[in-house]
Amino acid sequence: MPARFSRPDIGTDEGGLWAMMDREETRLRRSPFNLRDPQLQAHVQEMACRLAGEHCPDIRVHLVRTPYFNASMAPNGMMQVWSGLMLRADNEAQLAAVLGHEIGHYLARHSVERLRDAKSRTAFGQFLGMFGVVGLIGQMGVIASMFAYSREHERAADRIGAILMQQAGYDLTEAPKVWANLLLEANARPGGRERNPLFATHPAQEDRQAALAELAAKFQGGVANDAEWQARIQPHLRDWLNEEVKRGQHEESLAFLNRASGRAMGKPDYLCARGEVYRLRGGETDLQAALDDFRAAAALGNEPPETHRGLGMIYRQQKRGAEAKASFDRYLELAPQAPDVLMIRSYLEELRA
Amino acid sequence: MRTLTLLLLVTLLAACATVSTQKMESGDRSLGERMVVNLDAAWNKVALPNTGPAQTWTMEGLPVDQLLIYSGVKDGEVIHGTVFGSKLKSFAFRSAMQPDEIVAMFEGMLTRDGSAFKLVKLEPSSFGGAKGLRFEYSVIRKVDNVRLSGVGYASVNGGELFAMVYSAPQLGFFPRHQANVQQIAQSARISLKPGGGMGEGTRKPAAAQPEPACRTQAECRALGINQK
Repeated sequence: MPARFSRPDIGTDEGGLWAMMDREETRLRRSPFNLRDPQLQAHVQEMACRLAGEHCPDIRVHLVRTPYFNASMAPNGMMQVWSGLMLRADNEAQLAAVLGHEIGHYLARHSVERLRDAKSRTAFGQFLGMFGVVGLIGQMGVIASMFAYSREHERAADRIGAILMQQAGYDLTEAPKVWANLLLEANARPGGRERNPLFATHPAQEDRQAALAELAAKFQGGVANDAEWQARIQPHLRDWLNEEVKRGQHEESLAFLNRASGRAMGKPDYLCARGEVYRLRGGETDLQAALDDFRAAAALGNEPPETHRGLGMIYRQQKRGAEAKASFDRYLELAPQAPDVLMIRSYLEELRA
Repeated sequence: MRTLTLLLLVTLLAACATVSTQKMESGDRSLGERMVVNLDAAWNKVALPNTGPAQTWTMEGLPVDQLLIYSGVKDGEVIHGTVFGSKLKSFAFRSAMQPDEIVAMFEGMLTRDGSAFKLVKLEPSSFGGAKGLRFEYSVIRKVDNVRLSGVGYASVNGGELFAMVYSAPQLGFFPRHQANVQQIAQSARISLKPGGGMGEGTRKPAAAQPEPACRTQAECRALGINQK
Protein backbone atom coordinates (compact mmCIF):
# COMPACT_ATOMS: atom_id res chain seq x y z
CA MET A 1 0.00 0.00 0.00
CA PRO A 2 1.40 3.45 -0.89
CA ALA A 3 2.13 6.01 1.81
CA ARG A 4 -0.48 8.68 2.55
CA PHE A 5 -0.72 11.33 -0.16
CA SER A 6 0.23 14.91 0.58
CA ARG A 7 -1.75 17.80 -0.89
CA PRO A 8 -0.36 18.63 -4.35
CA ASP A 9 0.81 22.12 -5.14
CA ILE A 10 -2.11 24.35 -6.18
CA GLY A 11 -0.17 25.40 -9.27
CA THR A 12 -0.29 21.88 -10.71
CA ASP A 13 -3.19 20.31 -12.59
CA GLU A 14 -3.66 17.84 -9.73
CA GLY A 15 -3.61 20.66 -7.17
CA GLY A 16 -6.28 22.49 -9.14
CA LEU A 17 -8.42 19.35 -9.21
CA TRP A 18 -8.07 18.94 -5.44
CA ALA A 19 -9.15 22.54 -4.91
CA MET A 20 -12.18 22.03 -7.12
CA MET A 21 -13.10 18.87 -5.23
CA ASP A 22 -12.70 20.71 -1.91
CA ARG A 23 -15.26 23.27 -3.08
CA GLU A 24 -17.57 20.50 -4.24
CA GLU A 25 -17.24 18.81 -0.85
CA THR A 26 -18.22 22.02 0.93
CA ARG A 27 -21.27 22.22 -1.34
CA LEU A 28 -22.08 18.58 -0.69
CA ARG A 29 -21.96 19.06 3.09
CA ARG A 30 -24.69 21.70 2.82
CA SER A 31 -26.68 19.88 0.15
CA PRO A 32 -30.21 18.71 0.96
CA PHE A 33 -29.21 15.48 -0.80
CA ASN A 34 -26.70 14.83 1.97
CA LEU A 35 -28.17 12.00 4.04
CA ARG A 36 -28.00 13.23 7.59
CA ASP A 37 -27.84 10.01 9.60
CA PRO A 38 -24.79 10.27 11.88
CA GLN A 39 -24.95 6.62 12.94
CA LEU A 40 -25.09 5.21 9.43
CA GLN A 41 -22.49 7.69 8.24
CA ALA A 42 -20.14 6.71 11.09
CA HIS A 43 -20.62 3.05 10.27
CA VAL A 44 -19.85 3.40 6.56
CA GLN A 45 -16.91 5.65 7.45
CA GLU A 46 -15.62 2.94 9.77
CA MET A 47 -15.97 0.38 6.98
CA ALA A 48 -13.99 2.65 4.64
CA CYS A 49 -11.34 3.00 7.34
CA ARG A 50 -11.05 -0.74 7.82
CA LEU A 51 -10.47 -1.07 4.10
CA ALA A 52 -8.15 1.91 3.65
CA GLY A 53 -5.81 1.20 6.59
CA GLU A 54 -3.37 4.04 7.15
CA HIS A 55 -5.16 6.19 4.54
CA CYS A 56 -8.21 6.32 6.82
CA PRO A 57 -7.66 9.91 8.05
CA ASP A 58 -7.70 11.14 4.44
CA ILE A 59 -11.01 9.57 3.49
CA ARG A 60 -14.29 11.30 4.25
CA VAL A 61 -17.49 9.40 3.50
CA HIS A 62 -20.63 11.31 2.46
CA LEU A 63 -23.93 9.47 2.15
CA VAL A 64 -26.03 10.90 -0.66
CA ARG A 65 -29.75 10.46 -1.15
CA THR A 66 -29.96 9.47 -4.83
CA PRO A 67 -31.67 6.25 -5.91
CA TYR A 68 -29.00 4.97 -8.28
CA PHE A 69 -26.24 2.42 -7.81
CA ASN A 70 -23.16 4.55 -7.46
CA ALA A 71 -20.15 5.36 -5.32
CA SER A 72 -17.25 7.58 -6.23
CA MET A 73 -14.03 8.76 -4.74
CA ALA A 74 -12.33 12.03 -5.59
CA PRO A 75 -8.55 12.44 -5.38
CA ASN A 76 -8.88 14.75 -2.33
CA GLY A 77 -10.44 11.89 -0.33
CA MET A 78 -14.12 12.81 -0.74
CA MET A 79 -16.08 9.58 -1.05
CA GLN A 80 -19.73 9.62 -2.06
CA VAL A 81 -21.98 6.64 -1.42
CA TRP A 82 -25.44 6.88 -2.97
CA SER A 83 -28.58 5.51 -1.35
CA GLY A 84 -29.33 3.35 -4.42
CA LEU A 85 -26.12 1.42 -3.74
CA MET A 86 -26.79 1.04 -0.02
CA LEU A 87 -30.28 -0.26 -0.80
CA ARG A 88 -28.90 -2.79 -3.26
CA ALA A 89 -26.11 -4.14 -1.05
CA ASP A 90 -27.34 -7.37 0.52
CA ASN A 91 -24.73 -7.15 3.24
CA GLU A 92 -21.68 -5.24 4.45
CA ALA A 93 -19.29 -7.36 2.39
CA GLN A 94 -21.04 -6.31 -0.85
CA LEU A 95 -20.85 -2.65 0.13
CA ALA A 96 -17.22 -3.18 1.14
CA ALA A 97 -16.54 -4.59 -2.34
CA VAL A 98 -17.66 -1.30 -3.92
CA LEU A 99 -15.94 0.89 -1.33
CA GLY A 100 -12.74 -1.15 -1.70
CA HIS A 101 -12.93 -0.78 -5.48
CA GLU A 102 -13.23 3.02 -5.17
CA ILE A 103 -10.40 3.13 -2.65
CA GLY A 104 -8.42 1.07 -5.16
CA HIS A 105 -8.83 3.87 -7.75
CA TYR A 106 -7.75 6.36 -5.09
CA LEU A 107 -4.66 4.46 -4.00
CA ALA A 108 -3.55 3.91 -7.60
CA ARG A 109 -4.27 7.58 -8.38
CA HIS A 110 -6.20 6.63 -11.50
CA SER A 111 -8.10 9.92 -11.49
CA VAL A 112 -4.92 11.88 -12.10
CA GLU A 113 -4.20 9.79 -15.18
CA ARG A 114 -7.73 10.31 -16.41
CA LEU A 115 -7.50 14.04 -15.72
CA ARG A 116 -4.59 14.24 -18.08
CA ASP A 117 -6.60 12.29 -20.67
CA ALA A 118 -9.50 14.72 -20.50
CA LYS A 119 -8.19 17.26 -22.95
CA SER A 120 -11.34 18.95 -24.13
CA ARG A 121 -13.67 21.07 -22.03
CA THR A 122 -16.58 18.70 -22.66
CA ALA A 123 -14.57 15.72 -21.63
CA PHE A 124 -13.44 17.60 -18.55
CA GLY A 125 -17.04 18.20 -17.54
CA GLN A 126 -17.74 14.52 -17.91
CA PHE A 127 -14.55 13.72 -16.05
CA LEU A 128 -15.85 15.71 -13.07
CA GLY A 129 -18.99 13.61 -13.21
CA MET A 130 -16.90 10.61 -12.22
CA PHE A 131 -16.83 12.09 -8.73
CA GLY A 132 -20.52 12.87 -8.61
CA VAL A 133 -19.96 16.57 -9.24
CA VAL A 134 -23.36 17.11 -10.76
CA GLY A 135 -23.84 20.78 -10.00
CA LEU A 136 -20.98 21.86 -12.19
CA ILE A 137 -22.08 19.98 -15.24
CA GLY A 138 -25.79 19.86 -14.66
CA GLN A 139 -26.29 16.20 -15.25
CA MET A 140 -26.58 12.98 -13.37
CA GLY A 141 -23.54 11.05 -12.34
CA VAL A 142 -25.15 8.08 -14.02
CA ILE A 143 -24.83 9.84 -17.36
CA ALA A 144 -21.48 11.27 -16.53
CA SER A 145 -20.16 7.81 -15.85
CA MET A 146 -20.08 7.44 -19.62
CA PHE A 147 -16.71 9.06 -19.12
CA ALA A 148 -15.23 6.56 -16.76
CA TYR A 149 -12.02 4.86 -15.83
CA SER A 150 -10.45 2.67 -18.47
CA ARG A 151 -11.00 -1.05 -18.39
CA GLU A 152 -7.43 -1.54 -17.20
CA HIS A 153 -8.06 0.85 -14.32
CA GLU A 154 -11.28 -0.95 -13.44
CA ARG A 155 -9.54 -4.32 -13.39
CA ALA A 156 -6.75 -2.93 -11.25
CA ALA A 157 -9.25 -1.34 -8.83
CA ASP A 158 -11.08 -4.69 -8.60
CA ARG A 159 -7.83 -6.43 -7.66
CA ILE A 160 -6.85 -3.80 -5.08
CA GLY A 161 -10.39 -3.76 -3.69
CA ALA A 162 -10.36 -7.52 -3.31
CA ILE A 163 -7.08 -7.44 -1.38
CA LEU A 164 -8.40 -4.66 0.87
CA MET A 165 -11.59 -6.64 1.49
CA GLN A 166 -9.63 -9.70 2.44
CA GLN A 167 -7.32 -7.75 4.75
CA ALA A 168 -10.33 -6.09 6.41
CA GLY A 169 -11.90 -9.50 7.07
CA TYR A 170 -14.83 -9.35 4.64
CA ASP A 171 -16.08 -12.38 2.73
CA LEU A 172 -14.63 -11.98 -0.74
CA THR A 173 -17.21 -14.32 -2.31
CA GLU A 174 -19.70 -11.45 -2.01
CA ALA A 175 -17.71 -9.26 -4.42
CA PRO A 176 -18.63 -11.03 -7.69
CA LYS A 177 -22.26 -11.07 -6.55
CA VAL A 178 -22.36 -7.27 -6.66
CA TRP A 179 -21.62 -7.32 -10.38
CA ALA A 180 -23.87 -10.32 -11.02
CA ASN A 181 -26.78 -8.49 -9.38
CA LEU A 182 -26.08 -5.34 -11.33
CA LEU A 183 -25.90 -7.32 -14.53
CA LEU A 184 -29.31 -8.84 -13.81
CA GLU A 185 -30.78 -5.36 -13.53
CA ALA A 186 -29.03 -4.08 -16.62
CA ASN A 187 -30.20 -7.02 -18.68
CA ALA A 188 -33.76 -6.60 -17.44
CA ARG A 189 -33.93 -3.07 -18.78
CA PRO A 190 -35.46 -2.59 -22.24
CA GLY A 191 -32.50 -2.52 -24.58
CA GLY A 192 -30.47 -4.53 -22.10
CA ARG A 193 -26.96 -3.72 -21.00
CA GLU A 194 -26.26 -1.70 -24.16
CA ARG A 195 -28.48 1.01 -22.73
CA ASN A 196 -26.64 1.14 -19.42
CA PRO A 197 -23.70 3.57 -19.48
CA LEU A 198 -22.03 1.65 -16.71
CA PHE A 199 -21.33 -1.18 -19.08
CA ALA A 200 -20.01 0.96 -21.89
CA THR A 201 -16.57 1.30 -20.37
CA HIS A 202 -16.42 -1.30 -17.65
CA PRO A 203 -14.90 -4.69 -18.36
CA ALA A 204 -17.26 -7.42 -19.45
CA GLN A 205 -19.16 -8.28 -16.28
CA GLU A 206 -18.72 -12.00 -16.83
CA ASP A 207 -14.92 -11.52 -16.95
CA ARG A 208 -15.07 -9.35 -13.91
CA GLN A 209 -17.14 -11.85 -11.97
CA ALA A 210 -14.80 -14.65 -13.01
CA ALA A 211 -11.69 -12.71 -11.95
CA LEU A 212 -13.19 -11.85 -8.59
CA ALA A 213 -14.45 -15.38 -8.08
CA GLU A 214 -10.91 -16.64 -8.74
CA LEU A 215 -9.54 -14.29 -6.11
CA ALA A 216 -12.29 -15.31 -3.70
CA ALA A 217 -11.29 -18.95 -4.10
CA LYS A 218 -7.74 -18.05 -3.02
CA PHE A 219 -8.74 -15.95 -0.02
CA GLN A 220 -11.43 -17.79 1.85
CA GLY A 221 -13.19 -16.78 5.05
CA GLY A 222 -14.33 -13.42 6.28
CA VAL A 223 -17.72 -12.05 7.27
CA ALA A 224 -20.65 -10.88 5.14
CA ASN A 225 -22.84 -9.37 7.93
CA ASP A 226 -26.21 -9.62 6.22
CA ALA A 227 -28.34 -9.04 9.29
CA GLU A 228 -26.19 -6.19 10.58
CA TRP A 229 -26.38 -4.28 7.31
CA GLN A 230 -30.10 -4.82 6.83
CA ALA A 231 -30.74 -3.59 10.35
CA ARG A 232 -28.66 -0.47 9.67
CA ILE A 233 -30.62 0.53 6.59
CA GLN A 234 -33.99 -0.30 8.12
CA PRO A 235 -34.76 3.32 9.22
CA HIS A 236 -34.40 4.46 5.60
CA LEU A 237 -35.88 1.45 3.85
CA ARG A 238 -39.35 2.86 3.11
CA ASP A 239 -38.02 6.16 1.80
CA TRP A 240 -35.42 4.48 -0.38
CA LEU A 241 -37.90 1.95 -1.75
CA ASN A 242 -40.34 4.73 -2.50
CA GLU A 243 -37.63 6.56 -4.43
CA GLU A 244 -36.71 3.35 -6.22
CA VAL A 245 -40.31 2.80 -7.34
CA LYS A 246 -40.66 6.39 -8.51
CA ARG A 247 -37.62 6.11 -10.79
CA GLY A 248 -40.01 4.55 -13.25
CA GLN A 249 -37.41 1.96 -14.31
CA HIS A 250 -39.88 -0.82 -13.71
CA GLU A 251 -37.87 -3.71 -15.16
CA GLU A 252 -34.69 -2.81 -13.27
CA SER A 253 -36.66 -2.30 -10.08
CA LEU A 254 -38.37 -5.68 -10.46
CA ALA A 255 -35.03 -7.42 -11.00
CA PHE A 256 -33.77 -5.85 -7.79
CA LEU A 257 -36.96 -6.40 -5.79
CA ASN A 258 -37.30 -10.04 -6.87
CA ARG A 259 -33.95 -10.58 -5.20
CA ALA A 260 -34.43 -8.27 -2.22
CA SER A 261 -37.85 -9.61 -1.30
CA GLY A 262 -36.00 -12.72 -0.12
CA ARG A 263 -34.15 -10.74 2.55
CA ALA A 264 -34.82 -11.63 6.14
CA MET A 265 -35.67 -8.08 7.24
CA GLY A 266 -38.20 -5.68 5.77
CA LYS A 267 -40.00 -8.31 3.69
CA PRO A 268 -43.39 -6.52 3.77
CA ASP A 269 -41.68 -3.33 2.55
CA TYR A 270 -40.04 -5.08 -0.40
CA LEU A 271 -43.28 -6.87 -1.30
CA CYS A 272 -45.25 -3.62 -1.13
CA ALA A 273 -42.67 -1.86 -3.30
CA ARG A 274 -42.76 -4.66 -5.86
CA GLY A 275 -46.55 -4.58 -5.84
CA GLU A 276 -46.43 -0.85 -6.50
CA VAL A 277 -44.01 -1.31 -9.40
CA TYR A 278 -46.34 -3.89 -10.95
CA ARG A 279 -49.34 -1.63 -10.39
CA LEU A 280 -47.67 1.36 -12.00
CA ARG A 281 -46.37 -0.68 -14.94
CA GLY A 282 -49.91 -1.89 -15.52
CA GLY A 283 -49.21 -4.65 -18.03
CA GLU A 284 -51.46 -7.55 -18.84
CA THR A 285 -50.68 -9.65 -15.79
CA ASP A 286 -49.25 -6.90 -13.62
CA LEU A 287 -52.34 -6.01 -11.61
CA GLN A 288 -52.74 -9.60 -10.48
CA ALA A 289 -49.05 -9.75 -9.53
CA ALA A 290 -49.49 -6.47 -7.64
CA LEU A 291 -52.51 -7.85 -5.80
CA ASP A 292 -50.56 -10.94 -4.80
CA ASP A 293 -47.67 -8.87 -3.44
CA PHE A 294 -49.84 -6.38 -1.58
CA ARG A 295 -51.82 -9.17 -0.01
CA ALA A 296 -48.70 -11.07 0.98
CA ALA A 297 -47.25 -7.91 2.54
CA ALA A 298 -50.43 -7.30 4.53
CA ALA A 299 -50.56 -10.89 5.69
CA LEU A 300 -47.03 -10.59 7.08
CA GLY A 301 -47.97 -7.55 9.18
CA ASN A 302 -46.08 -4.29 9.77
CA GLU A 303 -46.70 -3.47 6.13
CA PRO A 304 -46.43 0.08 4.77
CA PRO A 305 -49.81 1.90 4.66
CA GLU A 306 -49.40 2.19 0.89
CA THR A 307 -50.03 -1.56 0.70
CA HIS A 308 -53.70 -0.88 1.40
CA ARG A 309 -53.85 2.10 -0.94
CA GLY A 310 -52.50 -0.11 -3.71
CA LEU A 311 -55.06 -2.79 -2.94
CA GLY A 312 -57.85 -0.21 -2.87
CA MET A 313 -56.80 1.24 -6.22
CA ILE A 314 -56.81 -2.16 -7.89
CA TYR A 315 -60.09 -3.27 -6.35
CA ARG A 316 -61.66 0.03 -7.40
CA GLN A 317 -60.52 -0.55 -10.98
CA GLN A 318 -61.92 -4.05 -10.83
CA LYS A 319 -65.25 -2.70 -9.51
CA ARG A 320 -64.91 -4.68 -6.29
CA GLY A 321 -66.48 -2.02 -4.14
CA ALA A 322 -66.53 -3.71 -0.74
CA GLU A 323 -62.88 -4.70 -0.90
CA ALA A 324 -61.87 -1.31 -2.26
CA LYS A 325 -63.68 0.47 0.57
CA ALA A 326 -62.11 -1.78 3.22
CA SER A 327 -58.65 -1.20 1.79
CA PHE A 328 -59.03 2.57 1.54
CA ASP A 329 -60.43 2.72 5.09
CA ARG A 330 -57.42 0.79 6.33
CA TYR A 331 -55.05 3.09 4.44
CA LEU A 332 -56.62 6.20 5.99
CA GLU A 333 -56.49 4.58 9.40
CA LEU A 334 -52.76 3.85 9.03
CA ALA A 335 -51.83 7.11 7.26
CA PRO A 336 -54.27 9.83 8.29
CA GLN A 337 -51.82 12.56 7.27
CA ALA A 338 -50.99 11.13 3.84
CA PRO A 339 -50.86 13.75 1.05
CA ASP A 340 -53.55 11.98 -0.97
CA VAL A 341 -56.11 11.72 1.83
CA LEU A 342 -58.59 13.98 0.02
CA MET A 343 -58.36 11.93 -3.16
CA ILE A 344 -58.89 8.69 -1.26
CA ARG A 345 -61.89 10.16 0.57
CA SER A 346 -63.39 11.10 -2.79
CA TYR A 347 -63.02 7.47 -3.87
CA LEU A 348 -64.76 6.35 -0.69
CA GLU A 349 -67.65 8.74 -1.34
CA GLU A 350 -67.89 7.45 -4.88
CA LEU A 351 -67.95 3.87 -3.58
CA ARG A 352 -70.70 4.69 -1.07
CA ALA A 353 -72.85 6.34 -3.75
CA MET B 1 -18.22 19.17 -50.65
CA ARG B 2 -16.51 19.16 -47.28
CA THR B 3 -17.19 22.89 -46.86
CA LEU B 4 -20.83 22.37 -47.76
CA THR B 5 -21.16 19.58 -45.23
CA LEU B 6 -19.60 21.75 -42.55
CA LEU B 7 -21.91 24.62 -43.44
CA LEU B 8 -24.94 22.35 -43.25
CA LEU B 9 -23.76 21.03 -39.90
CA VAL B 10 -23.28 24.54 -38.50
CA THR B 11 -26.73 25.59 -39.77
CA LEU B 12 -28.28 22.51 -38.24
CA LEU B 13 -26.59 23.11 -34.88
CA ALA B 14 -27.65 26.75 -34.93
CA ALA B 15 -31.24 25.72 -35.60
CA CYS B 16 -31.09 23.24 -32.73
CA ALA B 17 -29.99 25.95 -30.35
CA THR B 18 -32.70 28.45 -31.38
CA VAL B 19 -34.78 29.71 -28.49
CA SER B 20 -37.56 32.17 -29.24
CA THR B 21 -39.85 34.01 -26.85
CA GLN B 22 -43.36 35.22 -27.50
CA LYS B 23 -45.37 37.45 -25.19
CA MET B 24 -48.76 35.97 -24.29
CA GLU B 25 -50.96 39.01 -23.64
CA SER B 26 -53.90 38.93 -21.25
CA GLY B 27 -57.20 37.71 -22.62
CA ASP B 28 -58.38 34.44 -24.14
CA ARG B 29 -55.68 32.18 -25.56
CA SER B 30 -56.23 28.97 -27.51
CA LEU B 31 -53.88 26.16 -26.60
CA GLY B 32 -53.99 23.40 -29.13
CA GLU B 33 -57.24 22.37 -30.74
CA ARG B 34 -59.35 21.78 -27.67
CA MET B 35 -58.32 24.08 -24.82
CA VAL B 36 -58.76 27.80 -24.19
CA VAL B 37 -57.52 29.74 -21.16
CA ASN B 38 -58.01 33.31 -20.06
CA LEU B 39 -55.00 35.27 -18.82
CA ASP B 40 -55.23 38.07 -16.28
CA ALA B 41 -51.58 38.95 -16.81
CA ALA B 42 -49.09 38.57 -19.63
CA TRP B 43 -46.76 35.57 -19.72
CA ASN B 44 -43.73 34.71 -21.82
CA LYS B 45 -44.05 31.66 -24.02
CA VAL B 46 -40.64 30.14 -24.65
CA ALA B 47 -40.16 27.97 -27.70
CA LEU B 48 -37.36 25.59 -26.82
CA PRO B 49 -36.17 22.86 -29.12
CA ASN B 50 -37.19 19.34 -28.23
CA THR B 51 -39.49 19.95 -25.27
CA GLY B 52 -42.15 17.41 -26.14
CA PRO B 53 -45.88 18.17 -26.30
CA ALA B 54 -45.93 20.90 -23.62
CA GLN B 55 -45.94 24.64 -24.15
CA THR B 56 -43.43 26.29 -21.82
CA TRP B 57 -44.42 29.59 -20.24
CA THR B 58 -42.58 31.69 -17.68
CA MET B 59 -43.03 34.91 -15.74
CA GLU B 60 -39.51 35.41 -14.46
CA GLY B 61 -37.56 33.60 -17.17
CA LEU B 62 -36.16 30.09 -17.31
CA PRO B 63 -35.01 28.32 -15.24
CA VAL B 64 -36.50 30.46 -12.45
CA ASP B 65 -40.14 29.57 -12.98
CA GLN B 66 -41.78 27.29 -15.50
CA LEU B 67 -45.39 26.62 -16.43
CA LEU B 68 -45.86 23.56 -18.61
CA ILE B 69 -49.18 23.37 -20.42
CA TYR B 70 -50.42 20.18 -22.05
CA SER B 71 -53.37 20.25 -24.40
CA GLY B 72 -54.55 16.95 -25.81
CA VAL B 73 -51.68 14.53 -25.10
CA LYS B 74 -52.58 11.23 -26.71
CA ASP B 75 -52.35 7.72 -25.32
CA GLY B 76 -48.74 6.52 -25.43
CA GLU B 77 -47.29 9.97 -26.05
CA VAL B 78 -44.16 10.90 -24.09
CA ILE B 79 -44.76 14.07 -22.04
CA HIS B 80 -41.25 15.53 -22.27
CA GLY B 81 -38.56 16.06 -24.84
CA THR B 82 -36.35 13.11 -25.62
CA VAL B 83 -32.83 13.09 -26.90
CA PHE B 84 -31.92 10.42 -29.40
CA GLY B 85 -29.81 7.76 -27.73
CA SER B 86 -30.59 9.08 -24.23
CA LYS B 87 -30.20 6.54 -21.44
CA LEU B 88 -32.86 8.21 -19.31
CA LYS B 89 -36.28 6.73 -18.73
CA SER B 90 -39.12 8.31 -20.72
CA PHE B 91 -42.52 8.95 -19.19
CA ALA B 92 -45.57 8.54 -21.38
CA PHE B 93 -49.25 9.21 -20.81
CA ARG B 94 -51.67 6.30 -20.88
CA SER B 95 -55.36 7.04 -21.16
CA ALA B 96 -56.20 4.44 -18.48
CA MET B 97 -54.08 6.20 -15.86
CA GLN B 98 -55.60 6.82 -12.45
CA PRO B 99 -54.98 10.21 -10.77
CA ASP B 100 -52.07 8.91 -8.70
CA GLU B 101 -50.48 7.43 -11.83
CA ILE B 102 -50.74 10.79 -13.60
CA VAL B 103 -48.98 12.40 -10.64
CA ALA B 104 -46.35 9.63 -10.67
CA MET B 105 -45.80 10.32 -14.37
CA PHE B 106 -45.17 14.02 -13.73
CA GLU B 107 -43.00 13.11 -10.73
CA GLY B 108 -40.93 10.88 -12.98
CA MET B 109 -40.54 13.66 -15.52
CA LEU B 110 -39.53 16.22 -12.89
CA THR B 111 -36.95 13.90 -11.36
CA ARG B 112 -35.29 12.62 -14.54
CA ASP B 113 -32.23 14.72 -13.64
CA GLY B 114 -31.98 13.20 -10.15
CA SER B 115 -34.01 15.92 -8.42
CA ALA B 116 -36.02 14.91 -5.34
CA PHE B 117 -39.81 15.18 -5.43
CA LYS B 118 -42.25 15.19 -2.54
CA LEU B 119 -46.00 15.10 -2.98
CA VAL B 120 -47.62 17.56 -0.59
CA LYS B 121 -51.28 17.24 -1.54
CA LEU B 122 -53.43 15.39 -4.07
CA GLU B 123 -57.09 16.20 -4.32
CA PRO B 124 -59.96 15.81 -6.75
CA SER B 125 -60.65 18.91 -8.79
CA SER B 126 -62.17 19.80 -12.10
CA PHE B 127 -59.91 21.15 -14.83
CA GLY B 128 -61.18 22.61 -18.05
CA GLY B 129 -64.71 21.51 -17.20
CA ALA B 130 -63.76 17.83 -16.82
CA LYS B 131 -63.32 15.73 -13.71
CA GLY B 132 -59.68 15.84 -12.77
CA LEU B 133 -57.10 16.39 -10.07
CA ARG B 134 -54.99 19.04 -8.43
CA PHE B 135 -51.67 18.34 -6.76
CA GLU B 136 -49.08 20.31 -4.82
CA TYR B 137 -45.47 19.26 -4.53
CA SER B 138 -41.98 20.32 -3.61
CA VAL B 139 -38.80 19.57 -5.52
CA ILE B 140 -35.14 19.88 -4.60
CA ARG B 141 -33.43 20.54 -7.89
CA LYS B 142 -30.35 18.36 -8.29
CA VAL B 143 -28.36 20.74 -10.40
CA ASP B 144 -28.29 23.60 -7.87
CA ASN B 145 -30.05 22.29 -4.72
CA VAL B 146 -32.74 24.98 -5.06
CA ARG B 147 -36.00 24.14 -3.31
CA LEU B 148 -39.00 24.56 -5.59
CA SER B 149 -42.71 24.50 -4.89
CA GLY B 150 -45.12 23.34 -7.50
CA VAL B 151 -48.77 22.92 -8.33
CA GLY B 152 -50.38 20.81 -11.03
CA TYR B 153 -53.85 20.45 -12.53
CA ALA B 154 -54.93 17.70 -14.88
CA SER B 155 -57.91 16.04 -16.45
CA VAL B 156 -58.47 13.43 -19.13
CA ASN B 157 -61.14 13.76 -21.78
CA GLY B 158 -61.70 11.78 -24.93
CA GLY B 159 -58.68 9.73 -23.86
CA GLU B 160 -56.42 12.80 -24.05
CA LEU B 161 -54.55 14.51 -21.25
CA PHE B 162 -54.95 18.21 -20.42
CA ALA B 163 -52.68 19.55 -17.72
CA MET B 164 -50.78 22.48 -16.26
CA VAL B 165 -47.71 22.05 -14.07
CA TYR B 166 -46.04 25.07 -12.48
CA SER B 167 -42.73 25.08 -10.55
CA ALA B 168 -40.85 28.02 -9.03
CA PRO B 169 -38.43 28.60 -6.12
CA GLN B 170 -40.19 28.28 -2.76
CA LEU B 171 -38.85 31.59 -1.58
CA GLY B 172 -40.40 34.56 -3.30
CA PHE B 173 -41.24 33.37 -6.77
CA PHE B 174 -43.80 30.63 -6.14
CA PRO B 175 -45.95 32.68 -3.76
CA ARG B 176 -45.71 35.62 -6.16
CA HIS B 177 -47.21 33.77 -9.12
CA GLN B 178 -49.32 31.06 -7.50
CA ALA B 179 -52.56 33.07 -7.74
CA ASN B 180 -51.91 33.81 -11.41
CA VAL B 181 -51.44 30.11 -12.15
CA GLN B 182 -54.59 29.24 -10.24
CA GLN B 183 -56.50 31.86 -12.22
CA ILE B 184 -55.35 30.33 -15.50
CA ALA B 185 -56.27 26.83 -14.30
CA GLN B 186 -59.72 27.97 -13.23
CA SER B 187 -60.27 29.71 -16.56
CA ALA B 188 -59.35 26.65 -18.64
CA ARG B 189 -62.10 25.36 -20.92
CA ILE B 190 -61.83 22.13 -22.88
CA SER B 191 -64.05 21.22 -25.86
CA LEU B 192 -65.39 18.15 -24.16
CA LYS B 193 -65.95 14.85 -25.91
CA PRO B 194 -68.20 12.15 -24.46
CA GLY B 195 -66.41 9.39 -22.53
CA GLY B 196 -62.69 8.72 -22.18
CA GLY B 197 -62.45 10.43 -18.79
CA MET B 198 -59.81 9.97 -16.12
CA GLY B 199 -59.08 6.30 -15.52
CA GLU B 200 -61.65 5.23 -18.11
CA GLY B 201 -59.22 4.23 -20.83
CA THR B 202 -58.81 0.63 -21.76
CA ARG B 203 -56.32 -1.23 -19.65
CA LYS B 204 -55.36 -4.73 -20.53
CA PRO B 205 -57.25 -7.19 -18.33
CA ALA B 206 -55.58 -7.86 -15.01
CA ALA B 207 -56.99 -11.32 -14.52
CA ALA B 208 -59.54 -13.46 -16.26
CA GLN B 209 -61.43 -14.24 -13.06
CA PRO B 210 -61.35 -12.05 -9.97
CA GLU B 211 -60.07 -13.96 -7.01
CA PRO B 212 -61.39 -13.62 -3.45
CA ALA B 213 -59.81 -10.67 -1.67
CA CYS B 214 -58.59 -12.93 1.11
CA ARG B 215 -58.47 -16.62 1.67
CA THR B 216 -57.96 -17.16 5.40
CA GLN B 217 -59.35 -15.41 8.47
CA ALA B 218 -55.87 -14.13 9.38
CA GLU B 219 -55.36 -12.68 5.91
CA CYS B 220 -58.80 -11.04 5.96
CA ARG B 221 -58.11 -9.52 9.38
CA ALA B 222 -54.78 -8.17 8.13
CA LEU B 223 -56.53 -6.62 5.13
CA GLY B 224 -59.32 -5.12 7.26
CA ILE B 225 -62.02 -7.07 5.40
CA ASN B 226 -65.01 -8.51 7.26
CA GLN B 227 -65.72 -12.05 6.14
CA LYS B 228 -69.38 -12.98 5.81
